Amino acid sequence: MATEAKGESELKKELAVREEILPIERKLVAGSIILAIILLGILYWVSWSMIAHV
Amino acid sequence: MAKVDWSSLWKKEDWWAFWLGMLLFFLCLAAAYGADIMGWAASAKEWLDPAKSIVPASGAYAALGPVGSLIVTYIVFLILLSIGAKAMGWNVKSYAAGFTVIYFLTWLCWWFGHYAYIASTDPAKAGIPWSLRMTGEAGLIFALILGLIIGNFAKGFAAKLKEAARPEWYIKTAIVLLGATVGIKAVTIDPRVLANFLFRGVCAIVEAYLIYWALVYWIARRYFGFTREWAAPLASGISICGVSAAIATGAAIRARPIVPIMVSSLVIVFAVVELLILPFAAAYFLWHQPLVAGAWMGLAVKTDGAAAASGAIVDALITGTHPEFAPLKGWILNAGIVTKIFIDIFIGVWAFLLAVIWVYYIDKRPGEKVQKIEIWYRFPKFVIGYFLTFFLLWAVCAAAVSAATAGLTDWTAISKATANALKPFSLATGEMDVFRKLFFAFTFFSIGLISDFSTLRREGIGKLAVVYFIALFGFIIWIGLFISWLFFHDIHVFFLR
Repeated sequence: MATEAKGESELKKELAVREEILPIERKLVAGSIILAIILLGILYWVSWSMIAHV
Repeated sequence: MAKVDWSSLWKKEDWWAFWLGMLLFFLCLAAAYGADIMGWAASAKEWLDPAKSIVPASGAYAALGPVGSLIVTYIVFLILLSIGAKAMGWNVKSYAAGFTVIYFLTWLCWWFGHYAYIASTDPAKAGIPWSLRMTGEAGLIFALILGLIIGNFAKGFAAKLKEAARPEWYIKTAIVLLGATVGIKAVTIDPRVLANFLFRGVCAIVEAYLIYWALVYWIARRYFGFTREWAAPLASGISICGVSAAIATGAAIRARPIVPIMVSSLVIVFAVVELLILPFAAAYFLWHQPLVAGAWMGLAVKTDGAAAASGAIVDALITGTHPEFAPLKGWILNAGIVTKIFIDIFIGVWAFLLAVIWVYYIDKRPGEKVQKIEIWYRFPKFVIGYFLTFFLLWAVCAAAVSAATAGLTDWTAISKATANALKPFSLATGEMDVFRKLFFAFTFFSIGLISDFSTLRREGIGKLAVVYFIALFGFIIWIGLFISWLFFHDIHVFFLR
């Protein structure tokens, strides 16, 4: 029982701790979105101008 | 140079999923070459009459009957899994006893999930007035629920089964076998439009991995305060292909096993909710753009089974209620499958990328040198099995189709020859599917068993569900609809010409 309560307390502590968002995470998210917009533009252009009208 | 620990080849769960999956793959594949050695596997069928609910996967073993095939399947599972358990140093006696209970209780749920009033997507065809239209995958939900009940209300009993409650091992083995299912699907797509479809399907990768994943990860980290260990598998589970993506990401970033398990349990619940809502919404609002509706199912509905089932419902509803689109029958479903295939096959690459980022930029401590071999250690090995079974099956099917259609010019003759060439492989993948689905079912029973509600509360499942709900219904469904529209609108005209 005591062990369980201790475990719960540790988990609560773990969840309470906020991990700082690292620069690499910001880069990963921003880079993904920017790359997605560029790729979607290219894919859209290619799909409608080259493939759909063959 | 780092010393390579070769013992991981037989001591790690990841490798055992690979070996077991590949063994079952090759044994089942033998059926395509005339040696039907796995056809005894017990398969659940949609049923009204219980006597017809369980059959051997192959008609060649019909003499075994339902009880015989269930017992043989149990014995083979027990032997194979116990060998793995022994090699990994688990208590084999406890494992065998626990697995026996898990096997039969899971089968009970799996069988009940196939009851026509629950599973049928076409009640009229099944000869019943109504159905919940959940497909046989409802059995997974029942397995999860029964596991949760035992795990929470019969904790002493649950403790006795825990040695065999190994959801990660079961799901990874299932994913290895899933590669083969996708491989044969890739071959069956009409070659005249395959290139067109495939190209458009690439947008699914961009959407799932670069837009969904980034947004969900950011929301989970920035606004809900999740740690990286939780945010990454959650983002993958919501964005990519549900259970397998959560597991692959969890393995890549070395999250604790509880993380992908919790995400997986949410994925299956939300996938069933989606399955019950989205196909009907798509058929009602998008009937005039049938391929947009089909592609939307592949992009929005998580888990392969639920996505395929949603595509099939949309296909049936639109072609059934709008006769002018009858020539599109099958193509609407295909639009969903193609987008899903692309999302599926990219899981390994994404897991690899995440492993690289976590090893080199996130977990790296100052002054600590990260060995390049770590990337390999973190790489989920079952993903190799997934790719292997995909490419092997795709290659043998493509070769068989190519040989069968050589010299043919008439499209009807080509279609017929293709179907005949793939028939033996369909038998083989049908048998693989029996094992894959059972592994899925064991996974969900095990997930329930090891997840008691107090643990769920502590681990913040409520918060996970809120993020999942906001992401899924707040933007994933709508971005999926927008991109499906962008790439698939008016494409049906090419099929109607």
